[in-house]
Amino acid sequence: MAYDMTVWRRLLCALLTLCALAFGPAFAADPPPTDQALRQQVQPLNNAPVWREVRSGEAHFTTVKGVETGVLIQSGGQTWRALRNGPITLYGGIVFSAMLVLLAVFFKLRGQIRLSEPKTGRLIQRFTTLERMSHWTMAISFCVLMVSGLIMLFGKHVLLPVFGYSLFAVVAMVCKNIHNFVGPVFILSVLLFIVLFVKDNVWQAIDALWIRKAGGLLSGEHVPSHRFNFGEKTWFWLGVVFLSLTVGASGLVLNFPNFEQGRAVMQTANLVHLIGGLIVMTLSLAHIYIGTLGMEGALEGMQTGYVDETWAKEHHELWYDAARQNQGMEQTPGGLSAPAAVRT
Amino acid sequence: MARMKFICDAERCIECNGCVTACKNEHEVPWGVNRRRVVTINDGVPGERSMSVACMHCSDAPCMAVCPVDCFYRTDEGVVLHDKDLCIGCGYCFYACPFGAPQFPQAGAFGLRGKMDKCTFCAGGPEANSSEEEFRKYGRNRLAEGKLPLCAEVCSTKALLGGDADVLADIYRQRVLTRGKGAEIWGWSTAYGKPDAPAAAPAPSAGGKS
Repeated sequence: MAYDMTVWRRLLCALLTLCALAFGPAFAADPPPTDQALRQQVQPLNNAPVWREVRSGEAHFTTVKGVETGVLIQSGGQTWRALRNGPITLYGGIVFSAMLVLLAVFFKLRGQIRLSEPKTGRLIQRFTTLERMSHWTMAISFCVLMVSGLIMLFGKHVLLPVFGYSLFAVVAMVCKNIHNFVGPVFILSVLLFIVLFVKDNVWQAIDALWIRKAGGLLSGEHVPSHRFNFGEKTWFWLGVVFLSLTVGASGLVLNFPNFEQGRAVMQTANLVHLIGGLIVMTLSLAHIYIGTLGMEGALEGMQTGYVDETWAKEHHELWYDAARQNQGMEQTPGGLSAPAAVRT
Repeated sequence: MARMKFICDAERCIECNGCVTACKNEHEVPWGVNRRRVVTINDGVPGERSMSVACMHCSDAPCMAVCPVDCFYRTDEGVVLHDKDLCIGCGYCFYACPFGAPQFPQAGAFGLRGKMDKCTFCAGGPEANSSEEEFRKYGRNRLAEGKLPLCAEVCSTKALLGGDADVLADIYRQRVLTRGKGAEIWGWSTAYGKPDAPAAAPAPSAGGKS
């Protein structure tokens, strides 16, 4: 009998211990009462704590699956709307148009920057095939993105009244799809371009002279420089490296909603994309102008890869001198910082 | 003319999700899209409140303001609708909407968006009323049949009401008087402006633009 008692007592002890283990933590983790629970004890029907939760933008419980389905009110959209429909569309449009007018006026006053001496007919290699291909892939995709982007931002105000709803919707649909698929191509070409050109865009002491003389843009004086002058370097670092990568990265955030990023992220990314895009588009107009209409011999350098010796001497004297010294040397594969091949 | 609005009474909603189910069934909405959902605050603990949320058919609708192809329009009953033939699936209305109403069925890889879908207040779209075309794109047009939105009609506790704002406000006022407190209606200041400074009655804009 005594033996039985001990067994039963031991069993009971074990059971109690198990119970304590099983339920103990549950008692300890009992959540503190919610603000709403406390409030309605003292002020029944006062739902202020719940209304605060509604406005907080936090996700709450819902059975509906999806991104942010538990959020009742997301107020960031209002800010996004006000900025996009307001100052970004207005001032972005003004600045972009102003650049077009400015360049037209500049062209009227200054005309094309011509070579001061006649062409020698001797050609000197300025860009390799790979460099030119990366430049034109970037340039063409940039222009496609610029036109489609402009139509999606300003088309409602400019094209819609002319085209009507049905036609403009088709145009905008094509623009959206082109924009989404060409965007990644642009980013890849930008990355390749940076790798190829970064070496010759590092700042050098001679750049100080270019800054002091404002590039000779107004005086017409030719400021000596290495392969790229300070103006080109600025466009490389600001336009290609900083702005294009910023706009590209924010574009990727918008392009791939399948990663389930929330609305706040997309609103911010869209603002960055719009502001960065408008700045880089406006600046690109000046680059396109000087590379085509604005300067004699600039376009053929990027078209053929070769420039005339006169052009090289007048616009990039130090680079030309180095090329002269290397004359006759065989062209080395890959990016060339100092030109080697000379063709007649 | 009536101004159509939704009210969800947070004191009455019991999170049965009847409105969600009724909506999905009535309109045969695309896979992955829920035009209405119920959100619960303090789920399972004292102080729990549930609210049903869908497009509120705002007075100054953000979706309408940011749409790059201007595909939205407002009926003369204040219902905000859109034209799926014009929609390009850019997602801007989804960025702008505070209620998370616009949704996009996936149309391809990488989350490519199809035509936007949202609550129509059971008022269909720009196609001919009750046509097959209208049903396929927007769901049932109950308003054209003289009926109110199904989500509100099936609500078992009458927490969710849909209809003429003046009538709804009278019903709600009566409830508040009976309870003695709690005049707030969730989402109304966001959707329709502050009661002190009511937004000017918006003019209806032309439908069927395509």
